[in-house]
Amino acid sequence: MSVPTTLRCLVRPSVSRHVPRQVAAVVWAAPFSTSSSLAANPPKKKAGTQVASIRSGKKMQLGKFKKKAPGGRTGKAPLPGERKSVRKRIQLSNSNALPVQGLAELTPEYMADKRNAGTVVSLPGTVQDQLRVVEAFKPTQYWGMFRNPSMLVRAETVDLMSRMQQSAEKKQTLKLVVSGDRITGKSMLLLQGMAHGLLNDWIVINIPEAQELTTASTEYAPIPGTNPVQYMQNNYALKLVQAVRKANEKLLTRLTTAYSHPELPQNIPINSTLMQLANSAKEADGAWFVFHALWQELMAKGQGRPPILFTLDGLQHIMKVSDYRSAAFNPIHSHDLALVRLFTDCLAGSYQFPAGGAVLAATSRGNAPRTPSMELALSQREAEQTGAEPPKHDPFSRDYDTRVEASLKNVQVMKVSGVSKLEARAVMEYWAASGLLRKTVDEATVTEKWTVGGHGVLGEMERASLLTMRP
Amino acid sequence: MVFILGVNFNEHKLVQKALETFYALGPQTSVRILAKYSIHPRAKIGTLPPKVITALTAELSTMTIENEARRVVQDNIKRLRDMGTYRGRRHAMGLPVRGQRTRNQIETAKRLNQVERRG
Repeated sequence: MSVPTTLRCLVRPSVSRHVPRQVAAVVWAAPFSTSSSLAANPPKKKAGTQVASIRSGKKMQLGKFKKKAPGGRTGKAPLPGERKSVRKRIQLSNSNALPVQGLAELTPEYMADKRNAGTVVSLPGTVQDQLRVVEAFKPTQYWGMFRNPSMLVRAETVDLMSRMQQSAEKKQTLKLVVSGDRITGKSMLLLQGMAHGLLNDWIVINIPEAQELTTASTEYAPIPGTNPVQYMQNNYALKLVQAVRKANEKLLTRLTTAYSHPELPQNIPINSTLMQLANSAKEADGAWFVFHALWQELMAKGQGRPPILFTLDGLQHIMKVSDYRSAAFNPIHSHDLALVRLFTDCLAGSYQFPAGGAVLAATSRGNAPRTPSMELALSQREAEQTGAEPPKHDPFSRDYDTRVEASLKNVQVMKVSGVSKLEARAVMEYWAASGLLRKTVDEATVTEKWTVGGHGVLGEMERASLLTMRP
Repeated sequence: MVFILGVNFNEHKLVQKALETFYALGPQTSVRILAKYSIHPRAKIGTLPPKVITALTAELSTMTIENEARRVVQDNIKRLRDMGTYRGRRHAMGLPVRGQRTRNQIETAKRLNQVERRG
């Protein structure tokens, strides 16, 4: 018996006879988009290419040893210290940037002259080398984008340099802390101070990162015969002596020793050059004593010593208890580390430099521990300078540190903030002349970048204008 | 390669880590030893002068570490067993000592609770 044809209507059709409704595709394109191209959806693949292989997808692992996934790490692992050296590399020139015509070169008097405020000045080659040796350049600064290292002489620069010059003329010691917001140019001001010192035949001693001294990352040892115990950091002292020796070679070969130094392993007779003394530090062992001897020589009165500039960046790090431990496992205060003590004593005014000079410190905002005493002391000094009522201790806080406050009793505070529009214009013109700012520098662009940069904060302006060009 | 207490260490190893490889010498003790000899926490074995290495060896040889420390633990267990305490018996049987259930998850107890305990 055959199936009646009427039953066929109950069978589901194998192919849908239903024709899908054609929807007219709406083609719509925005005239512009505010989302970045990276945020956009990836382009759709064509339907024809989407036929998946039967073998794709997850597979059972049968063998004991897995095959290495392709595209994994290949090549050699970097050698010890290689990544750090890349991270800390200082590049001072870029052959792709245009040379800027008509830039003045830095002279000994340049930065102390009021008329030069708001100009860009280039660093001479010898000073570049010396600054590199004392590690005045920081890897975060934008040196590597320009043909030659140049810097803006701002009002604060002129102020600082003239104060330094006055103190050297009067044979006094300028004790000054550069403070201010993030990336306003505090380290840059120190660099300018060092450049000024080097050009004017000062002895320049620089501690580029104070944290290297106090975060327990370098060797330490108690100094025998000190009470209370002080600690020397021989490895760091060696590095420092070598930097001082290289940067101030010309001066040190001219100066001669006034004392004999029986504590040194090598015999340095009186009237030998300070260079010989500095050269005696060849190994980390006893390097601190060499540095100390060198310091004593530089402090010798009536020997025709030059002015001295002693600088330190990241002041907060030496205004706290360090990460080192004493033999009895008590935390060591940073001021018990001999090198730090030397600096804080200078800052407190315990040392009289024979030919005057300056002790400069810069605070750090990007990387700094909390130091309530330092903050308070600096705001007190600042208030005293302006004649305002100085702030007082918080009576409910126990975080204050008397040693820190004592070391900051006699300092001047220089607050660094944004640059003026004139200075901003000068620096932007320099960027444009270097081919890094591809806009006409007029009132509108200057105002725009100045405003975007938080009212002329130089680092922010650089970010706003040059970040796209950064390698 | 540097020998501390007869053990050979790679020069690139941190001193603190090297000290902590000894049985019964943990972080609490190692930081105190480092402080005693003015070794900073990031120091590597290779940077230590030989004088400090010998001092460290001398220091470690006075401490109850390694086999001595293991013997102390074994003696304690033996004492419990000899007294016939419950804890002693449980050690002898290789079962949990402090009232844990024994239906499952007693692998650690099986491994560790022995009269002649090794680790």
